[in-house]
Amino acid sequence: MYELSTDICNMKELRAADISAYDAIYLGEYACPKYPNNFSSHPEQLQQGVELVKSLDKKCYLRLYAVPDNRDLTWVREIIEEAMRLPFDALEVHNMGLLRVLKEMNCPLPIHLGVFGNLYTHVTAKVLKEYGVERVYPNPELSLKEIVYIEENADIDVLVPVHGKIPLVISETCFIVENSDRKPDDCGFLCSEEYWLKRDDWTLKDLGRMTVSGKDLCMIEHIDELVKMGLGTFFIESSHENVDYIGTVGGIYKEAFTAAFNGERVLDNTAWLEQLGAFARMGLCNGYYFEGAGQKYSGGTSVWSNC
Amino acid sequence: MVELLAPAGTREMAFAAIEEGADTIYVGPLGWSRRPYESELTDDEIREVIDFAGIHGKQVRVAVNTYPSPFEEDLFIKKIEQYALWGATGFMLTDIGTMARIRRILPDTIIHVSVGSGITNSRDAQFYRDLGADMIVLPYRWGVTEIAETREITDIGIEVFLFETIQTGKICPGKCIMSSYLKFRDWTEMEGKNYFFGSANRGAKECYRVCQTFWDFTPKNTDTIEVKLRKDACLMLDQIPEYIRQGVTCFKISGRERPTEIIRDLVRFYRRVIDGIMEDTHPDVSDYHPEMEVFQHRWVSEKRKRLGTLMGRADSYAAMGKAASGQ
Repeated sequence: MYELSTDICNMKELRAADISAYDAIYLGEYACPKYPNNFSSHPEQLQQGVELVKSLDKKCYLRLYAVPDNRDLTWVREIIEEAMRLPFDALEVHNMGLLRVLKEMNCPLPIHLGVFGNLYTHVTAKVLKEYGVERVYPNPELSLKEIVYIEENADIDVLVPVHGKIPLVISETCFIVENSDRKPDDCGFLCSEEYWLKRDDWTLKDLGRMTVSGKDLCMIEHIDELVKMGLGTFFIESSHENVDYIGTVGGIYKEAFTAAFNGERVLDNTAWLEQLGAFARMGLCNGYYFEGAGQKYSGGTSVWSNC
Repeated sequence: MVELLAPAGTREMAFAAIEEGADTIYVGPLGWSRRPYESELTDDEIREVIDFAGIHGKQVRVAVNTYPSPFEEDLFIKKIEQYALWGATGFMLTDIGTMARIRRILPDTIIHVSVGSGITNSRDAQFYRDLGADMIVLPYRWGVTEIAETREITDIGIEVFLFETIQTGKICPGKCIMSSYLKFRDWTEMEGKNYFFGSANRGAKECYRVCQTFWDFTPKNTDTIEVKLRKDACLMLDQIPEYIRQGVTCFKISGRERPTEIIRDLVRFYRRVIDGIMEDTHPDVSDYHPEMEVFQHRWVSEKRKRLGTLMGRADSYAAMGKAASGQ
């Protein structure tokens, strides 16, 4: 009927999180290879990760490092080789060079294009299909209308994020370490705490190698619309959130989607909004889905409309 | 042959750059080249500039380096075909699908992969070569090692911005949508696009360079500091001779949004530097250091002014937005 997925970076979080609401899990954190025991950079962690997810009868995808330089390609290749021996359902790739490497390696796994793959058009999606790409995560700047157009005209599966912080920038170096007395090789996992960038009423959250939206994308008031548009592959961004977030947010959206796909109309979503809002320190937004700047909350009935 | 590629944010800048010895200039059509309208040209102006360059035996490339909306894909291709017909010799592009289409339609045109494509490794360069691209831009974090590694596996040309590479901070062309997350505004009247929205990546809107303004940031166990998200890039000089030896064939001055005077002076300067190296009459670039210092000072001061203008606009739109929503 539909697929709801999220991302989990390492074994510790995978064991701790309640993932019962999800149909599929993206393993790994694609921005920072130094994140402790990150699936994306630790081949020895892959087997137990994929086995746990598959034992719960869910699909399991692996996220590859998004911005590899020439030296990184060596270890990323080792991750791919290990993944090819295991029952992964797909690899997520953000980088065109890696797409080419995967083709050379005759990798039989389906490929999902990651958010930093800069997918803006159906014609690009068509070219990427020749490289084995079966699913794309469109650039967050696209509107729902454009996403639907791409899905129909390129005949490709489109991943639609419905909740969580929007990835805005990825960098090959860590901003948090650069502004500390730590060295890149001994970062002390500074990003385990929260960091915010503020300028007047603008707020961004800094994860070190990535900057994400200050506000949480929230589509809970638009579930029926998404379903009516024919979309069916949904995603919750959980990167650098705590395990409660993964369980609670997933649970809410599962309930909402199940109702919508069964044709039931949810009349009061106040309780959901309150719960989701409680996780969102800087408020909620709708991203770019309704043709406005990403941090706007446009439409819907809730108090967030004034944001 | 080493090509000196110069910006033409206005007709005047185009004429000045050609007069001072640029081999090629690049222009951006209104709404299609990631700059505010005042640094882009109308189609009539582009045609005029192409004619002027032709008379002087120079070339014009057109930066159409926005990511088009899927809805404007065909219009995008049509515009490019028109510029080629007028005599543009090449295009700066980002969108992969568009690039593949242009290669099929215009087999002889020169395709530059815009820095906005976000290349990080030599395999990326190979990927774009397979698509039919002719040139990539040296990514901000690369140096001679990466140039050599790339040239080992592909014959794609390498274009270098005349900036020194930087290793830290958020320097992420093609991997950043911060600006449009915070604020964007329509320029539909100026650009004739009334169906369009998005960031500078997508045209029609400006990037506020939010990475280059000051933000409050609180590192662990210390007080809040004011930081820029990236360092200012310095103009390049010392690396040029080695880059030429490594096979770099195109040096690009950026700055369509700068005043014509500084671009005119920079074209004249870099023409002299490159000719001195190529003709072996002045291979030691260290003699130019005092001149470079003056340029650097001018460049940074112009850049600050520009940033002030952009942030001022962003703030005024934010105020307008609030007024409109009654806050």
